[in-house]
Parts: sequence; structure tokens; C-alpha cells
Amino acid sequence: MSRLEAKKPSLCKSEPLTTERVRTTLSVLKRIVTSCYGPSGRLKQLHNGFGGYVCTTSQSSALLSHLLVTHPILKILTASIQNHVSSFSDCGLFTAILCCNLIENVQRLGLTPTTVIRLNKHLLSLCISYLKSETCGCRIPVDFSSTQILLCLVRSILTSKPACMLTRKETEHVSALILRAFLLTIPENAEGHIILGKSLIVPLKGQRVIDSTVLPGILIEMSEVQLMRLLPIKKSTALKVALFCTTLSGDTSDTGEGTVVVSYGVSLENAVLDQLLNLGRQLISDHVDLVLCQKVIHPSLKQFLNMHRIIAIDRIGVTLMEPLTKMTGTQPIGSLGSICPNSYGSVKDVCTAKFGSKHFFHLIPNEATICSLLLCNRNDTAWDELKLTCQTALHVLQLTLKEPWALLGGGCTETHLAAYIRHKTHNDPESILKDDECTQTELQLIAEAFCSALESVVGSLEHDGGEILTDMKYGHLWSVQADSPCVANWPDLLSQCGCGLYNSQEELNWSFLRSTRRPFVPQSCLPHEAVGSASNLTLDCLTAKLSGLQVAVETANLILDLSYVIEDKN
Amino acid sequence: MLSSMAAAGSVKAALQVAEVLEAIVSCCVGPEGRQVLCTKPTGEVLLSRNGGRLLEALHLEHPIARMIVDCVSSHLKKTGDGAKTFIIFLCHLLRGLHAITDREKDPLMCENIQTHGRHWKNCSRWKFISQALLTFQTQILDGIMDQYLSRHFLSIFSSAKERTLCRSSLELLLEAYFCGRVGRNNHKFISQLMCDYFFKCMTCKSGIGVFELVDDHFVELNVGVTGLPVSDSRIIAGLVLQKDFSVYRPADGDMRMVIVTETIQPLFSTSGSEFILNSEAQFQTSQFWIMEKTKAIMKHLHSQNVKLLISSVKQPDLVSYYAGVNGISVVECLSSEEVSLIRRIIGLSPFVPPQAFSQCEIPNTALVKFCKPLILRSKRYVHLGLISTCAFIPHSIVLCGPVHGLIEQHEDALHGALKMLRQLFKDLDLNYMTQTNDQNGTSSLFIYKNSGESYQAPDPGNGSIQRPYQDTVAENKDALEKTQTYLKVHSNLVIPDVELETYIPYSTPTLTPTDTFQTVETLTCLSLERNRLTDYYEPLLKNNSTAYSTRGNRIEISYENLQVTNITRKGSMLPVSCKLPNMGTSQSYLSSSMPAGCVLPVGGNFEILLHYYLLNYAKKCHQSEETMVSMIIANALLGIPKVLYKSKTGKYSFPHTYIRAVHALQTNQPLVSSQTGLESVMGKYQLLTSVLQCLTKILTIDMVITVKRHPQKVHNQDSEDEL
Repeated sequence: MSRLEAKKPSLCKSEPLTTERVRTTLSVLKRIVTSCYGPSGRLKQLHNGFGGYVCTTSQSSALLSHLLVTHPILKILTASIQNHVSSFSDCGLFTAILCCNLIENVQRLGLTPTTVIRLNKHLLSLCISYLKSETCGCRIPVDFSSTQILLCLVRSILTSKPACMLTRKETEHVSALILRAFLLTIPENAEGHIILGKSLIVPLKGQRVIDSTVLPGILIEMSEVQLMRLLPIKKSTALKVALFCTTLSGDTSDTGEGTVVVSYGVSLENAVLDQLLNLGRQLISDHVDLVLCQKVIHPSLKQFLNMHRIIAIDRIGVTLMEPLTKMTGTQPIGSLGSICPNSYGSVKDVCTAKFGSKHFFHLIPNEATICSLLLCNRNDTAWDELKLTCQTALHVLQLTLKEPWALLGGGCTETHLAAYIRHKTHNDPESILKDDECTQTELQLIAEAFCSALESVVGSLEHDGGEILTDMKYGHLWSVQADSPCVANWPDLLSQCGCGLYNSQEELNWSFLRSTRRPFVPQSCLPHEAVGSASNLTLDCLTAKLSGLQVAVETANLILDLSYVIEDKN
Repeated sequence: MLSSMAAAGSVKAALQVAEVLEAIVSCCVGPEGRQVLCTKPTGEVLLSRNGGRLLEALHLEHPIARMIVDCVSSHLKKTGDGAKTFIIFLCHLLRGLHAITDREKDPLMCENIQTHGRHWKNCSRWKFISQALLTFQTQILDGIMDQYLSRHFLSIFSSAKERTLCRSSLELLLEAYFCGRVGRNNHKFISQLMCDYFFKCMTCKSGIGVFELVDDHFVELNVGVTGLPVSDSRIIAGLVLQKDFSVYRPADGDMRMVIVTETIQPLFSTSGSEFILNSEAQFQTSQFWIMEKTKAIMKHLHSQNVKLLISSVKQPDLVSYYAGVNGISVVECLSSEEVSLIRRIIGLSPFVPPQAFSQCEIPNTALVKFCKPLILRSKRYVHLGLISTCAFIPHSIVLCGPVHGLIEQHEDALHGALKMLRQLFKDLDLNYMTQTNDQNGTSSLFIYKNSGESYQAPDPGNGSIQRPYQDTVAENKDALEKTQTYLKVHSNLVIPDVELETYIPYSTPTLTPTDTFQTVETLTCLSLERNRLTDYYEPLLKNNSTAYSTRGNRIEISYENLQVTNITRKGSMLPVSCKLPNMGTSQSYLSSSMPAGCVLPVGGNFEILLHYYLLNYAKKCHQSEETMVSMIIANALLGIPKVLYKSKTGKYSFPHTYIRAVHALQTNQPLVSSQTGLESVMGKYQLLTSVLQCLTKILTIDMVITVKRHPQKVHNQDSEDEL
């Protein structure tokens, strides 16, 4: 019996952001996320102190899902980042850092929340409309007829996750695999509405990364003994497949709510087995070559089918059912009785394969939109990280297919955007303020806070004590190593900007990112030849970054708007 | 052993509680209000500006606080709005009452009477006040609403008779509502969304029924998607179910659907029955029969063009298989709410698999425009194009937001707005008592009601029509002959040169009956349709008195200075209602009604107006108790605009606004509001009555006894021993 207990009163705190505790927890979170950011980001080891699973990562999704935050404000923050990551996979750390920076910067100003929120919203819409406009100077079109830009995109994602522990050669290999896996999921003759297939990631831990590979079709893992028992099929035409979603183990199905009385001597098992064998006979007469079952097949039926040269594989599991249905074109059979002839599907061929220590049964499709990405890495944690990265990359490629644009990476988009906003708020504040009650001074203050928040995001790309500069023409980011000699000759020290689009041979003016600059118009409209020739660009996903930007500003606005926190202590 | 503690229930204690609550809610009231973050015991976080939710989240311990929260929630359940205003108003009322006691505490009393005695004396005084409050609420408030305030009302409808909604008015109303309910960077977007939803779901003929349906099933009509910016929220035509197809077969053309509430596949035995298996063959044949039967049912459905099977239970694999074979999509495990929503929209009863099988048509099928999967943020939903048989055109709202807490807030606010609109679309009956002892006709009795948008923009150049009512005598006689009453109407309507900018048509006819009656009469002067070409009025005096016994009596009514100023624009309706209560010595009970859709501009307009008229009323009151109550309420009402204008400075600050408003009222000029937006009068009225009821409840309590026992309902021996 449950006991009725009086509810404890809640804890109510006013102006939560001003308290020291919130500030420190926010800055701790900020330190964690900033130190993870970028290709040279530091790794975090997460463990619970009682042994067990240890996670080494620098990715926001893994990091935040393992972190246990207690303060409600942090909960809002991490939840919104996690939600962003689960829908776009990429740009989680960017969102987190930007959000923390915005909160911190705006808090220092001491303006009323109304003004801050209103102006932040204006600045956000300014950013979004610029990034979506034709004149935007930091995005490039993605050409699906060549692999160059797509490879750059995938490579950028792989290099930004140092916990994958990949060498340069391995990075190249894995990016090519990911791209191939993605391209295999695109149907060949697509008209109008494209339905993408699926790439299944098959784990192969303890192997060299170079051994990873992509195969069309589906790999079903099996023990060697099972595999040996399967008889090779010699057939020139496609193989007929029957896929069962119901159990073929011979247990009696649901008998209803009433009671079923079985007389002495009546064996239901035999009755059901009879039924199963009848089913087997039907399969044989329908010339089925391959029987797949999600659940268990009765050993007698299995043997019966094997005797008639039908391969029977059971315990496929629910995850493989959908790809199998899609690949073979079958309809999962739920009946032990008559089977409709159009429920059968087909595969081109089957074979056995051995990768590392694992044995697989390989179904080769007629036309592939399903492929298997066999992913190898040295140890468990690195493999987990690599798998997450691959999923991110595949998702980013899908998003890019929908919106074929990419943003310049390596921090160049952020600095460029900051320069654009500074210029815009300086030269044309009326168009932003329009009918609002805010003053120009307030706009300048908030714009400065917003831009410096953006710039300190890219500032956290540098973890080794180097300096970050920006040029005064394109507004791109340039970094100098820590131990380089003093400010004598910038073009010699700087070779390339963050995204790799420009080199220092041009006549450019640089200044430190942290220093104050006069606002300038960052050059928009990219030179086409520059984009075409550059083979090693760092790129970001446009869709994910746009959403990240919006989520960061919206979440910061939300948190800045809080006047009370009511904690339920029950 | 008496393990309880008693505390004096006093206004002071209640005030202390209310002040704490006020401090919390006043931070999120109005357009400048901020958000509050609540955590649930489960660890979820919720953002809210909903006063009711905040108060409940506090889990207050204080008994008076708990009572206040209960009152607020019951008010919210009815109206969906006004929790924060409730607290602020209540707090100001208590402050007013407290101030009175402080004033009356003269030193002599303190010395002579013991504290305990004083407490009891106070209590009895509170009892009187609470009775006075109750009298005020039940007998006076309606009158003030009807006689004074109603002339300021605007209507949300562009045409009063057909109740056609004016889109711009609805936008203003919703914007003002969401201003107080969602974050300030989203309120415009959300109110636009609600407005669109409203107009998309309604047919021109649909009335209250649609509100009920949407209100009851609001949870099923929206889908929350986290991880996307709020601006991605949208309205989708058709119904979105938060399920995926268990079998999906694309189909087009003539599509029908059925709803089932049990498994289609026949089972061995139903509940309470016994199935005896005697042989293996019997088992096999029954299995075979079940299979064949299922197959036949699905085939039959297929032959009837059924392409969609909606089930509230999980169907066996066999059913799914044959559904797939026959090209039927299946959606399973729907909640009973979802099923009932679908049934209400399409008016379909569940399909029962026929026992004896025939080729006849299945009666319980409905046409579907489409049924397809909808992918929102890589999650699949079922998207149905139902063909509605009721006034509701099915549309679903997709609410996006970075966190679930924000989506919940938006959902909550949308639901509240719906409740508010549902209330607004109802007529309100006003019953009140007037004491019209003075024969001077100072109290204006000619109530001019205009439901039209014309109030918003009186055009000085247009439409001031004055017509002498000359042909009314016959009409009146006609109407009154039935009741055998003779009315001598001096229809010498003097029409002075009224100023065109006279905003509110305001007329003061005086009744001078020759005899004094004990009875009550209400004469309603209804203007019929105004003819646009001739500007001709045909007033009709209708006598609808209650408790009427004027047989053989003579009433003489003379109109003096009857001014009718028409400010309506062309083609609009002009209902004029005239209540002419009798100048008897006794009290007269009047009943009238406030038409649906009455609104006032936001920014404390209602409060200032009511404050003004209450003060006027209080001046005329003779009973001290009544005067006091009116004054307290009038002053407490100002607390709400004070909070709203807190952040404003200079010309827009509260004192300036107040003085402007009072000046405008005294000179009969239109009130000018600095803010755009409208609010429901109905909501305000109900709020006022709820607060007054809550206050009377508080005042009638004289002692709070804390019982130190677990709030267990089970009686056990221990507790008996204790007592």
C-alpha cells in the first residue's frame, strides 16, 4: 500500500543568475566544453569511480549524456544542446560555448532582460538572413557531381574529433569510406521524392582502422560453426527470400482470455510442429532459397529446410528487420498458414565473409540502397567515438543533400559573421532598431557582446597558447603558433586561414582577435576559382550550424529571462 | 493529548501570505514579465509564466496559502487566464482591509479590551465585511458592469448578429494574452500561430462546439518536437498521431478507414469461456479456421476499399501480415483519447468483425483524404487527412523548441488561450439590484450597447444621426396592451446639437410614473435594423418585466433629452437596449446580459474604468458598509495597472495614464490606450468574482488549527488515543 505523504514545500529563488553558485557552475560547464572544442581539443575521461565503463571523448553528445547536472538552469542548457545534437548531430560544442559566452557577456552589461532579449533576437535574425543570402561571404555551394567538397566536409568532421585517434592516412581512408557508404544509400533511379537507404555500422573492434570497409547489402554475424553448416548455393538467378516476423519455434500462439483445456494425450507441440512442417513444404514448393526469421526457428523445421537445400537463419533481431525488408523487397510474414506469393523477395547472391575474427553471412542485393560499414578501431572507447563520428558525418551528408551549401570552417565563418554584424550595427543601426524602444547605445553594447561571444567561440579553438588573428579584408581567422617570434612579419608566420581558402601571400592586414578594431566590411561573394582550386578546405554543415546558432541564442535568451527558480524538493 | 496548534486567522496573516505570493507572480505579469523555471520531482525542468502552475509548483504549506492556491486553480480551470492578476488583486484587497483595521485601532480600545477579545471582535467585523463583499458581488457588481461599463465595451465580432470573427481583433486579443504567458521573444509568433490555427479549424458556421472539441482534445492535437528553433513551429492540415504505422502501404484514390477496438483475429476462447481441445486435429483445424477467418476479414475490408486500419489495441502478427498483403496500412495502440478524437471528427463508430460473413457493405467506414507518414526531426508520425463531419476542420499544431520545458509552456499557453476564447464566446447573464430612490435620473438608465468595431475608431465626420422618435407611441401601446398597461409616452425627443466627438452615446431618460409601484418593470428598447439609405430608426419598446402585476395601472413615461448618437459605420448593426426600471421605493431586480465577445483594450482599462465607476457609486451609497467595500475594491483594482506600468516612465507612467483616463471619463471623451491589444471582459469579470469569493472565504475563517498528524485517511487506534 502506498503511503500518502505531505508534499514538501518547494525552494524558490529569485534572480538565479546573479548568485555565485550559478555563476561558478556555468563557468565550470563552459570550461569543460571550451577545452574540448576543435581538432586540438582536449579529451575528457568520464567514469563513475566504481569501475566499469570509461568513456574518453571530446564530443558534446557523449559528454553531455554522461554528465549529471543538478542545477535547473544547467539542465535547461544541456537539454537544449542535447536536443540540438540529436536532431542535427553536429555543432553541439559550438552551441554550448556560444550560449555560455552570450550569458556571461550579457550579464556583465547589466541591461534589462527585455532589451537584451529583443536585441539578441534582432542580431540573430541578422545573422540568419545573412547566412542564407546570396551575398554571404562564408558559404560555398556543394557540388554533388564531384567528391571534393563532400570529402572536405567529412574530413573536417573527423579531424575535429581527436578522441577517434586517427592518423592522417586513416582519416583519409575513413572519410572516403563514409562518403562511399553515403553514396550507396542514394537510390540510382530516383525520380521526385528520394527515399534514402541506410548504412549499417558493423562493429569490428581491435582491428586496424585501415581494415575498415564498406560493402553493399547486409552482413549478419554468425559463429563459424553455424556458417560451416550452411550449404553453398549454386544458382545463377536471384535467390528467393522469405522473411518471417512471427516466431517459428512452435509455441502456441495467444489463446485469448479464456481457458483452453487440453485433453490427456493431446500434444499441442506435435500439432504445431505439423503445422510448421506444412509451412516448410509450402516454402519448398514455392522454391524459396533463403528463409530468414526475426525470432527462433524450430530445430526440426530448420533441419527440414536444410535437407531441402534451403538456408534458414533465425534470431535476426528487430533492428535488421527494416533494412532487410527494404533490401529484399519482401513483406514480413506473420502467418504460419498460407503465404501470399507476393510476400517473397529476392537477393542477388549470398556469400560468407570473414573479417578479423568475426564471421558474417553476407546478403548481396540486386540494387543497393542498404550498405554495411565495417568499422574498425583499436579499442572500445576509440571505436565508440569513431562510430559516433561516422554517424555524425553520415547525418551531415544527408543534411547537406537537402540544403546543398557548406559553411567555411576552422572559425572563419564566426569571425566573418562577427565582422559583418559589427559593420552592420555601426553603419546602419536604424534598419535593425526600426520601431523598437531600444537606443543605439544599447544596440552597440549588445552587438559587441554578441560578436565577442562569437569570437571567443573560435578563440577556444586554440588550446596550445597560440595567438588568433583576423584579417581586415575577408574577416577570416588566422592562427600563430605559441613559440613564434614577435610581430615582425605576419605573412611569413601565417600560411593559411582557418578554413584554408586564403593564403598569406595576398596583401592583407591582420590584427589580434582580442584587440579592438574599427568596423570594416568583410568581403562577401567568394571567388569561384578559389573554391574550385582549393582541395583541402575545412567546412561545416550549414544546416547544423544555423540551427546551433539559433538554439544558442534562444537558450541564452531563455536563461537570461529567468526571474525565479522553483525547485520541487519532493 | 491535543497535538494541534491554533493560530488566529486574520487579515494580517492572509496579507502576509498574499504578499509573498504577489512578489513571485508580479515578476512575470504583463508584457514585461519574465520567466520562472520550475523543476518537477522527476527532475524535469519546466519554464512557465502561468501563474497557476507557479503557485502549484511552490507546494505551499501555509493553510491560507493553500486555500488561495485552490481558489486560483478552480478559477483557472474555468477561464484559463488571470492567475497572476488574481493574486495581485487579492493582495491589494487585503491591504485595503488591513489599512482599515489599523486606522480603527485607537489606543483606548487597546487598553480596555484584552487582545483575545479584540480578536473576536475583529472576527465578527470581518464577518460583516465578508457579507458586504458577497452582497456587492452578487447584487451590485453586475449592475455597474451593465449600466456603466458596458458602454465602453468593444466587440471581437465584426458583425454582432452573425458573430463573424474579426481577424484583426482576434489577433490583438491573442497577442495581449500571449504577452503575459510566453517568453517575450516568442509571443508574437505564438499568437500568430494560434490565430492561424483558429481560422483554419473553424468553418463559418462553427460555434461553441468546436471550442469544446479542441479544448477537450488539445493534447492530441499538438505534437512537440524538441531540438528545433521555436520558429519552426507550424500548423499542419490533417491530424498528426504520435505513432508510427506498424504496417504502411502507400495508397491513393478512394480510401476508406475503419476503427477497431479489439483484435480482428478471432481467439480460441474469450474471457469466461472454456475451450476444450480433444485432439490434435481439432487444434489444427481451429488454427486453420482462425487464419482463414482473419484472411477473409482483411480481404473483405480490402474489397470495401479500406486502406487504413486504426486500432486501439495491438493486433497480432497475422492481422498485420494480411493487412500488408491486402494493401491496408495499420496504426495500432492508439490511446482512448486519440480514438475518441477521431471518432468525434468523423463521426464513426468502431468496426466489429462480422460473425456471419456476407458480401454486404461494411457500415462503419469513413473516407480519408490521405494517410501517410510524416517525418519530424527523424521521427515518424502518422499523418491523416480526415474528412470532418462536424464543424471542426482537423489541423494539428507542431510545436518546436530547444527544450521540452519551453514546448510545454507554449502548449499550456495555447490551451489557456483556447479556454479564454471559449469563455469569451459565451453570453453572460447579469442579475443585479438597483436602489433607485432618487428621482433626478442621475443614474443613467438608458444603456446603449453597441457591439461593433465602430467603437475603436469613431469617425467624427461620419454618422452622427439624430432622429426624433416620433412614431413610438403606437408601437409602445401595441407592446404594452397585452399586459393591459397604459403607457403614455411623450415622445418629444429633444435632440440638442450633440458634439460629434461624443464618444459614447449616452442618454438619460427619466421616468416619471404617476403612481408608485411595488413592482418592477424593465423596458427594453431595441432598435431594429438600421436602414442604411434612410437612416431611419424604428425603436420597439418591449415590456419584459418579471414579477409583473400592473394590471390596471398607468405608467407614464416621458423621455427627456433622449439623444441617440449613431457612430456606427455603414452597414453595421446597432442594437439599442433600454432598461427603464421603475422609480419605486423598493429595490428592483434587473436582469440583462452581456453579449458574447466583449473586449476592452489592454493596459488596465477595465480596472481603471471599474475603479472610476465604483468611486462614483460609492459617493451615492448611503450605507457605510457598502461604501467602504466599494472603495476598497475600487482602490484595490488600481493595483493591477500599477504593476503593469511599473517599468514605464514619463508620459506613460501610471499616474499620467490614470489622470488622463479619469479626465477622459469625466469629459465623456474616448479613452486612449497607449498599448495595442484587447482583453476579454468576460475573463476580467469572472476574475473579479472569483477573487471576491476567495476573499469572503478568507474573512470568514477565524482560526486556523494545525493538526499534527499524517494526512492519512485511515483511522487507526493511535490517533484516537492521542485525541
